[in-house]
Amino acid sequence: MKRKIILGVVLLIVVAGSIAAWKYFEKATNYADKEPDITITTKELVDAFDKDTASASKRFMDKIVRVTGIVQSFDSSAVVLSEEGNASSVVVGLDERNKESVSPLKVGAPVTLQGKFSGYSKSSADPDDLLSSLGTTINIDYGGVINKK
Amino acid sequence: MFKQSLVTLAALLLFTTAINAQGRYFTKTGKIDFFSKAPMEDIEAKNKTVTAVLDTKTGALQFEVQMKGFEFEKKLMQEHFNENYVESGKFPKATFKGSVANNSTVNYAKDGTYKVNVKGKMTIHGVTKEVEAPGTVKVNAGKIDATSTFNIQLSDYNISIPSVVKEKVSNTIRVTVDTKLEPLKG
Repeated sequence: MKRKIILGVVLLIVVAGSIAAWKYFEKATNYADKEPDITITTKELVDAFDKDTASASKRFMDKIVRVTGIVQSFDSSAVVLSEEGNASSVVVGLDERNKESVSPLKVGAPVTLQGKFSGYSKSSADPDDLLSSLGTTINIDYGGVINKK
Repeated sequence: MFKQSLVTLAALLLFTTAINAQGRYFTKTGKIDFFSKAPMEDIEAKNKTVTAVLDTKTGALQFEVQMKGFEFEKKLMQEHFNENYVESGKFPKATFKGSVANNSTVNYAKDGTYKVNVKGKMTIHGVTKEVEAPGTVKVNAGKIDATSTFNIQLSDYNISIPSVVKEKVSNTIRVTVDTKLEPLKG
């Protein structure tokens, strides 16, 4: 009986330890590999925030967003999507694991990216606010390029 | 003839001003990394979607970063950072609003590397502090690379480290800012 209890305790410690170790070493989610919560275009995304910031923020916060738009600029760490003649943009930070996915991109060409919505910034009426001239900025991070099949 | 030249000159001046909105430079893809060195663990996180604007005429400088945009290697670190330490749901952004203190020593029209000193107000976790940091401004072919490395103390921003993880998270965080600024047209 005593042996069974000891065995049970040891087993419990091993299982709990394994779960703790797995949790500790678990890599951050690669959101570009997951199914998106929301699929949208750059224009629709910017419009949603320009129209009603509070409800848009509630709708998108922490969601996996798949966004399609025109590449304004890109490098191996981020891609900026925007509509022509509009200062507003969707900025997608690339997950280190997805850096290579930008190689086929071209400025002015359409692309679909996916990542986790991390926040937004809107123009303010404050004349001392230097960022107010930058339009609405939507931030998506942990991103990557989606290759449509 | 003279009058005509004057009109042309005025039009040219207006055009140049319109091209570069009052000498302002910006980025929406700046980088901010932070690094915590503690006896049991080193923690690093990167944000690649930092917004920044520099007014080269006045030296005014502004940054904004989404806290949820910091990328960690481990999921647990990302969760602890957002939920327990910076409380990014409650305080979604960190901001800096200040200026290049020695702006007059930088010739933005001439390629070169200039040492600068940046002063201003930094807000993290809803707490605003006066900060000062050295930086480098590199002017190259009409673009500006602005970089800076400095330390912050988490306790200054009311971010407390529970004693159980004191050996894993340092109170002193090294912050590295790297931005490539382009002329702001408008």
